[in-house]
Amino acid sequence: MPHSDRKINQLKLTNEDTLGPYYPISLCDNDNMNMIKIHSGIVHKATGEKIIIKGCIKDKNGSLAHGCLLEFWQANEHGIYRSPDEENNDKIDPWFTGYARHRTMDGNFKLTTIKPGVNNDLDMPRAPNITLTIFSDGIMRLVTQLFFDGEESNETDPLLLSIPKEMRKRLLLKAMTRADDGTTIYNIEINMSGENETPFFDDLLS
Amino acid sequence: MTKYGRTLQIGPTDLTSEKRTPRHPLHLIPEAARASFVPYAPYDFSVLGSEADMTRLTPGRPQADGDYIKITGKITDQYGRPIKNSMIEVWNANKYGRYTHIEDFSGLQLDPNFLGTGRMISDDDGNYEFWTVRPGQYLALPDISRWRPKHIHFSIRGGSSRLITQMYFKNDPHNDRDPMRILMGDNFEQNIGKQYDIEGDEFDCGYKFDIVIGGRNPTFFENDLT
Repeated sequence: MPHSDRKINQLKLTNEDTLGPYYPISLCDNDNMNMIKIHSGIVHKATGEKIIIKGCIKDKNGSLAHGCLLEFWQANEHGIYRSPDEENNDKIDPWFTGYARHRTMDGNFKLTTIKPGVNNDLDMPRAPNITLTIFSDGIMRLVTQLFFDGEESNETDPLLLSIPKEMRKRLLLKAMTRADDGTTIYNIEINMSGENETPFFDDLLS
Repeated sequence: MTKYGRTLQIGPTDLTSEKRTPRHPLHLIPEAARASFVPYAPYDFSVLGSEADMTRLTPGRPQADGDYIKITGKITDQYGRPIKNSMIEVWNANKYGRYTHIEDFSGLQLDPNFLGTGRMISDDDGNYEFWTVRPGQYLALPDISRWRPKHIHFSIRGGSSRLITQMYFKNDPHNDRDPMRILMGDNFEQNIGKQYDIEGDEFDCGYKFDIVIGGRNPTFFENDLT
């Protein structure tokens, strides 16, 4: 079937809508903001460099955006995403899913994870990054990707290169401090709107 | 170099939308980065069958106040392929327009027999079903007398499918001033539950709400079709 015919046969989409202010908090009870330990009390854990990301979501006035539902998605230490296509890949880490979800009451979040790697088998390798999706009252889904400040591979990352240079720094996680066990703590401020607005991407049309 | 997609619209009279909507157009994602934007949520969900009955807290308990309604529908991608084994989370206000959420400060009447949240998993054909009470409207912005029409919230996730949306009711007098309904324009029809009769007195009526998830999110890698 030619491409144009397929377009005609497509169903009309259900409109996205806002999350509203009352997403049930109890539905997040089993969500986990520690991607290293999926289950508690067992010896297995994800392999890679442990990191902590502390961030916040702010609105146009610089106030914390309370009640956002956040989704995080990332590759493992080899730069491989867990997907059905990669089930037989040796570099898949059985103890790492790369997915986390969290409702932030006050607009702040803390994610414990491993630093994603670079998959050099790709034609255009991606710099280490973490996909962030934000659902909240007043908006449809917002998506972006966060990168690590100072990574050499940032210079050739196809997504970073696709946005104006002055905006790239707004997507950079900055190593600020260390936890007691030596874990690097990264910081980022996401601005939904206003000055220093974070670049967001079109997940529907792209 | 930079390519732009949609510019998100601000919901009229929606103060939160005014504060949280990016003003800059969204950036298109280059092909080399596209796959990385499709989160694949692990299938480790488990749900009790009774979670699909929102008319009572747990089996055997008394039913909540209001009209009992059955919502049924099918979840597909835009090519009509069923989205199976996805987690559907639903939540709605009680008969009086009050959510059980601790951040609902409206002061409207609570119902001790209404939890207000439910969950289910779509079957192999993408079908789902749950029971709830018809939600009440509520005054969202008293200053400008703007109401929220009756609606039920939906979140769908599992695999790479995910969508957050709301089902509305036909002929609700408050539909026309709802900020998100205004943004939907003619496509609002897609978000209305289609009423149907149910025999017997267990339910007031049923609503069929088929959900079509767009973009490249619903199923993993559909390169052969786009």
